[in-house]
Formats: sequence, C-alpha cells, structure tokens
Amino acid sequence: MKLGFIGLGSMGVPMAENLLNGGHELYVWARRAEAAKPLIGKGAKLCASPAEVGASAEVTFTMVTNGADVENVVLGETGLAHGAKPGSVLVDCSTIPALTVRKVATELGRKNVDMLDAPVSGGETGAKAGTLSIMVGGKPAVFERIKPLLGLLGKTLVYVGESGSGQVAKAANQLILTVSIHGIAEAIMFARANDVDFKPVWEALTKGFAGSRMLELFGARMMQREFVAGLDARLHHKDANIVLQSAYESYTPTPAAALAAQAFNALMAREGTRWDSAAILKVVEEMNGRDIA
Amino acid sequence: MKVGFVGLGIMGRPQALNIRKAGYELAVWARRRQSMQPLLDAGAVGCASPKEVAAVSDVTFVMVADTPDVEQVILGPDGIIEGAKPGSVVVDMSTISPVVTREIAEKLAGKNIEMLDAPVSGGDIGAINGTLSIMVGGKPEVFARVKPLFECMGKNIVHIGANGAGQVAKACNQIIAAVTLEAVAEALTLARRNGADPAQVREAMLGGFAWSKVLEVHGRRIVERDFKPGFKARLHRKDLKIVTDTAAHLGLSLPQASLVASHLNALVGMGLGDEDSAAVVKVIERAAGEVR
Repeated sequence: MKLGFIGLGSMGVPMAENLLNGGHELYVWARRAEAAKPLIGKGAKLCASPAEVGASAEVTFTMVTNGADVENVVLGETGLAHGAKPGSVLVDCSTIPALTVRKVATELGRKNVDMLDAPVSGGETGAKAGTLSIMVGGKPAVFERIKPLLGLLGKTLVYVGESGSGQVAKAANQLILTVSIHGIAEAIMFARANDVDFKPVWEALTKGFAGSRMLELFGARMMQREFVAGLDARLHHKDANIVLQSAYESYTPTPAAALAAQAFNALMAREGTRWDSAAILKVVEEMNGRDIA
Repeated sequence: MKVGFVGLGIMGRPQALNIRKAGYELAVWARRRQSMQPLLDAGAVGCASPKEVAAVSDVTFVMVADTPDVEQVILGPDGIIEGAKPGSVVVDMSTISPVVTREIAEKLAGKNIEMLDAPVSGGDIGAINGTLSIMVGGKPEVFARVKPLFECMGKNIVHIGANGAGQVAKACNQIIAAVTLEAVAEALTLARRNGADPAQVREAMLGGFAWSKVLEVHGRRIVERDFKPGFKARLHRKDLKIVTDTAAHLGLSLPQASLVASHLNALVGMGLGDEDSAAVVKVIERAAGEVR
C-alpha cells in the first residue's frame, strides 16, 4: 500500500520505520528535511509538502506536537487536504483536543477523505518496539480497514467510538499519568520529611496495590534525581491542559487533574523545557521549603 | 519462642491462627471474649489483659484498629508495657501514625523492650492465606529475630528503616493508591461525560503507561458499578487521616493527598463508608450534579 507520514520527531521516526518494515511504500514530509534522512536511507520518498504526501498516499499518518500543528499540516496552505484523493484516509496519531479533531474531520469529509483520531500511549520505547497502545475514534468501517496498519505500530488497538473519542481516551490516559506523577512525588516528599529512604519503600510498593507503570518509571527517576531527561515535562504540561479543556467542554469537575496541571505550570516556570516530568518532585520539595538536599 | 497476640479482629484472627498453625505456643487477648474462641479451639491460651499476654511472651503482636487503640493496649492500664519482660519484642501490625509509633517505641525502650512497626497490606484474604505484604520499621537485628514469625503471615516482607519507617511506607502506599484511584475515577468520568464508553477507554489505557493495579481492579469496579468491598472507604479514609495528620505535624503541603482525603470524607459522610473506596467516583459524579 502507498502510505504517507508527516511529522518525523522522536515518536514519528520509529513509527514510520515500522510501516516501512511492514513492506509498504512510504511518502514522508517533515518541517526539517534532515529529520527524514534515516527513512530516506531505507527507501522512503521525501515530498515537498504535506499536499504532495496526500496526493501520493492512500493512507497518511500524522504525528505532530499540537492541535495548531495538525490544522496547519492538514488544512494549511500546502496542507494534506489540498492533495488528498477522495477515498483516502488520514490517521492522526498526535495528542490534540477532540474539538480540533472534529473540525479537521469535517473539513476532510467535504473532500471525501476519512479521518481517524488515533493517539498513542507507550512513549519512544513503545514506538520503537511497535507495542504502542492506540485509542481510535472515527467510523468503525474505516477502523477495520486501517487496523492491519495500526497493528504494525501497536499491540493494544482499541476502537473507542465516533470521531474525537480516541482523543477523549487519550485525555483520560494523560489525566491518570499527570495525577499519578504528582501523587508519587508527594509520597516521596512524605517519606523524606519523615527521614525515611524511599528506595525500600518503592521496592515494597511496586508489587502491591500502589503498583503502576508510573511508579516503576517515574518513581525510579525521582529517587535517582534524574530530572533532565528530555521533552516529557513540556508534553505533559500540554496534555494536562488538553485534559482541562476536555473537562471544561463537558462540564466535568476534575480537581485532581487541575492540581496536577498547576504543578506542571509550576514546573514550566523553572525553565520548563529542560525538565523531565520526574522534576515535579522538585516543585513539591521547593514549595515545602525542602529543596536543600 | 513464645508468642503473644493482642487484637483478634478480621485481620488479627487469621494472622494469629497462622502463627499457631506453624506450631508456636500462643497467648492471646481480645476486647471481646468471643473473638478469642477460635484461637482457644486451636490450642492458644486466653489471657485476662494485654499485660498478661506480654508477661508470658517473647514476642507480642498487636493488631488493632487505630492509633488510640494501640496506645491503650501498649501503654494503658494493664497494657503490654506493664507485663513485657526486658529484651522481649512488641510488634505493632496496625496501621497508625508514624509519629506516635516513634513515641511508643521510645517509651518501650525506656524499659528495655524492643519494638517493631510492621503494618501490612493485602486485606483479610492475604491474612487468611498468609500472603500479606509487611513493611517493617525498627532495628535490623530485632527484625531478623522476628522474621520467621512474619513468614507465617506474609510473603513480601521488607525492612524499611528505623522505628516508624514501616508506618511511613504504609502511608506512602495509601497516598499513591488513593491518588491513583482519584485519577482513575476522574478519568473514567471525564470519558463518559465526553461520550466515550468508559469500559473501552479503560481497556485502551491498560495497555499503555497508565497501567496500574488500581486501574485494573478499581477501574473495573467503577465500570461495572460494583462497589462491594474490597477495601472499605472508611478504612481508606482513616489511613489518609494518618497522612494528613502527619503532614500537619511536619508542616507539609500535599495537595493531591489532601484532596482525595477530603473526597473520602464526603463519601463516608454520605453514608457509603462500607462500600469499596472505588465508590469515590460517586463524589465526583455528585459534584457534577449526577446521582448514579
């Protein structure tokens, strides 16, 4: 099948690679052309614009940072919508507001182009291993058609409901992540204020009822005080806002999500782009005046 | 080694039975006489007070409901401190304040009596099957002496640190479990109110970074509206009060823990304290003007 991929960041590149390895032809575009290099070496074709990707591909995947980016690469001047053939499909894997999905899907519908929202969970590790969890919104028939392709990217493929529902599931997912990270940081602060080393506590807890992927990953990073890993905090900060947007639109009280969003705001106030989400522990420590280790 | 056990409720009784089954001589006391009967049937000796239990035991276990109960049976009139021999050990397996635990340990140390705090998780099923998780605070050499007895009652037995550290670990466990529960309840409510099927959303989330034991177990209870305990909301509330009291004592702001503590207050306040703590989702629903 002829496939397209737009957005070749730390998630997009390994995902696109898995589509190539599945034996498909791949047309790619990235804001910075050098981001496409590893894929060109493996046989992908570089296009001059998202519109050109759309003109070449039957199914195009997008994996960009936020709602504005999706609108830009799909509906913008040289956007995918201007090239996409009737009957083709856009699969947006970015994490964006459900409202934006519905807007873009409606515009594409006018050109007889279908859209699925298919945000993912599982990070770079999951993207590389092809073991992402993918939450899909859109028409069930389109999901069934695209499922074999999604199977190259992820292991847990769940059809959630109509257009935008995938993003709703992702918002629920991010709510749990951001609140859990904040809760774990508070537990570590509690142990420290009681002069108790968290390491044996962590060992006792991971197997029990408090056990979670977040406790395994972020609990470990917080204990080792590995706060400067990459982009995570910036992305969780953005996601926390999407959660609150979704709560705002549906009149849903989500006080724990609101607290977590505030903690991420506070983290961004400390040269935000430097930090990994584990640095929420710094926010908790500093607001308690316990920042001097 | 002679063993004593004080407090024979839903947790203490099966724990004491497991010690007896392992062949130890056992002396017991409980506030209500009839609670002792199953132990007496199993060959334990009934005593008239905690003091009397401690007087005949090398290691005395305590498993009662709350901080004041522990103070009463250890430090109160006819309490363990009055009977315990120098060099013997008091092991408190109740979930109580780490601050009070340190105070009790100090008073016992004044009479040359050792203490371990050893709160558990795993519920009555874990107590019956002898598969509790046990988090222990106290001197390592005292922990080593008592460990064979712990092994009659539990599987995952971890020495955390000095006196009180076991209670701190248990408090951390309750903070993380409760905050995760609040997150799962909010997330599934958010999904439902945005038109997505909570069952599908939970299914999708289980495969990714949002996986937790709580999403698996309590998430299922919320989706199926099955609030039979499990772990009762009023007990979770009590455990979080230990957290908020300790935080106040130490001068700490823990907003997420405080929030879920207040939601569990509301849940118990609406008369649902005997439901599973997953019912905290009802507080969020009622905040949104829904009664489901």
